Amino acid sequence: MDQFVILCFAVVNSIALLALISLGLAIIFGMMRVINFAHGEFVMLGGYATVIANHAGVNLWLSMLVVAPMVVGMIGAVVELLIIRRLYGHLVTTMLATWGLSLFLIGAVTAVFGNTTMGVSAPLGNIPVGAYSIGAYQLLLIAITALLVVCSLLALHWTKYGLIARAAMQNSEMATTLGIDCDRVYAATFIIGAAISGLAGALLAPISGVLPHMGAAYVARAFVTVISGGGALITGFLSAATILGPVEALLSYFATPVVGQASLLLLAVIILRLFPTGVSSLWTGGR
Amino acid sequence: MKLSRRTFLASSAAISAASIAGSFADRAWAASDTVAIASLHDLSGPLDIYGVPSNLCMKVAVEEINAAGGLLGKKVELKVYDGQSDITKYPQYAQKAALNDRVVMVQGALSGAAREATRPVLRKYKIPFIYGSFYEGGLCEKNSFCVNTGGNQQVVPLLEWSFKNLGKKLYYIASDYNAPRNFGIWNHVMAKRQGGEVLADDYYPLDVTDFTAAIAKIQAAKPDIVHSCLVGGPAMSFYRQWAAAGMLKKIPIISIVFAAGNEHEVLAPEETDGVIVAYNYFQELDTSKNKEFLAKVEALAGKNHPYINGEVFGGYSGVMLWAEAVKRAGSFEREAVLAVLESGIRWEGPAGVMTTDGPTHNTTQDVHIITVKNRVWSLIEKREQIPPDTYGGKCNVFTNPNQTDFLMPQI
Repeated sequence: MDQFVILCFAVVNSIALLALISLGLAIIFGMMRVINFAHGEFVMLGGYATVIANHAGVNLWLSMLVVAPMVVGMIGAVVELLIIRRLYGHLVTTMLATWGLSLFLIGAVTAVFGNTTMGVSAPLGNIPVGAYSIGAYQLLLIAITALLVVCSLLALHWTKYGLIARAAMQNSEMATTLGIDCDRVYAATFIIGAAISGLAGALLAPISGVLPHMGAAYVARAFVTVISGGGALITGFLSAATILGPVEALLSYFATPVVGQASLLLLAVIILRLFPTGVSSLWTGGR
Repeated sequence: MKLSRRTFLASSAAISAASIAGSFADRAWAASDTVAIASLHDLSGPLDIYGVPSNLCMKVAVEEINAAGGLLGKKVELKVYDGQSDITKYPQYAQKAALNDRVVMVQGALSGAAREATRPVLRKYKIPFIYGSFYEGGLCEKNSFCVNTGGNQQVVPLLEWSFKNLGKKLYYIASDYNAPRNFGIWNHVMAKRQGGEVLADDYYPLDVTDFTAAIAKIQAAKPDIVHSCLVGGPAMSFYRQWAAAGMLKKIPIISIVFAAGNEHEVLAPEETDGVIVAYNYFQELDTSKNKEFLAKVEALAGKNHPYINGEVFGGYSGVMLWAEAVKRAGSFEREAVLAVLESGIRWEGPAGVMTTDGPTHNTTQDVHIITVKNRVWSLIEKREQIPPDTYGGKCNVFTNPNQTDFLMPQI
């Protein structure tokens, strides 16, 4: 029984981690069709913002939940203004530009903070489960991820901004005719996506530490999740995370972590072979 | 004399052949009042946490030698190369050191990959290679000399102590590459010798940061000891998540790599307190020679110098052992220096007495089992004069002078 609880925790944790690192990317890619190769670096910057703010004496929760998304959101605004805005509609050029940005950010952070791991320790202690115990912080991480996903879903479908954003995404010409400033919508969306990526990095900092090239470990998994999810913005990547996460966690547990990682990628290939536009084409009709 | 094209080619070929031969025969140091040795370390990139302090230790040794009047009346000059955490740089710089800077010894190439890229080049140019990092053991090559601990010298004392004091059931979690897999074999060797049991060998790719499933697996296996050979920045997450799950106080962690990248300073005390490791050297070692050594480190790099751990200490002991051999040989020639090293010379330094071992080209030394509390290491037990493993007699440069392959431990 205890072992079952621990295993369930590992599975849910795996889903939550995939969802957490993919949300910011899903918003930017899903809404704007901008392939942001610097996504991993936004996560990394969020982690650094948290660790540095915390070491400077700011309360840990404040550093994670407020400072990190604000800092990365601001960086996102600058990036949007200088790079993304100029390249809308040029898919390949944007990929190259954001890849360059990713290399630049890694280099800049290495130059300033050095190529060493920094971190803060996980707060909240642990919760015993029979003979086992799990980190309370990781439970909180799962809860915050769930909350973020629900809020994004609600914001997109039940608020005026969500309506405008979806309109700009689906048919920008029509939206412009109706008096919506699509450029501003795109800018706001990019900033929100960046801020959420920063928040993801902040939340990961206590359990994984931060180092300049940590983004590489996340960006591939985030892309795999978002692409396998397909067109439906939130439900798409969430369902992909729910399929991929357990497979990785269970195979890492019962076989080896290498098998777990490999099967995550293999499963993504199979999903894309069966549903070329992602699993969400099942209920969106391949839009 | 009429200079035909043919005679011109022949004579110029002869001249260049003579000058190449000359450059080897007429060693640079013979006429000069300095002699050069090379430090080949990663001074930038992800591996600089090992390279920078190791290079610093070499500098300390060279300054100490020069302050005492140099070697055989010559000043020692340290040529420093930055490998940039890039394997392709190693053969290039090794070649440059040999041909351009005419060094008489090269030390560094700490990672296994860098070492394997470097030693064939130095073998070719007949420049002795001093290897200062602790490693998996089994390097028994004529042209190389290992001054730090080989696999058995760390693992055997640590596992003997652990099986005796912590329990019999061991769980191995390690990064997935050659050295940790080699150390993994040692677990089984020692379990067999000590009547212990290895519950699992769990290897993780170097970029994994989520160890939730790993920790669940360890909890389910209920070991008495967790042996960690996790290496690199991302793998430090394991210690964070292990502590966050409240396991640090429940199951002791032993390691032979923890703290080589100064993990005990990067991680918080509540994530590392109680970890047990085994090294030949640690900075808190309470000997008068160590106090003198640390004063020299401080004089060179200031009060905030990087922590000197067992991994990087080889930078100092390597140069000092080589210098001792040069003094006794009365020569910088490779054959003469190697012959002295092979005769088994004794040198007492900050880490106690070290004696070079002729047949294995490794070094007999003390090993300290230590534990960390609040970022400070303290001694649990000192194991004196641990000799290098002979790999069943196969590790012997006297009987196998052409041996260049790595040897593996046998269960």
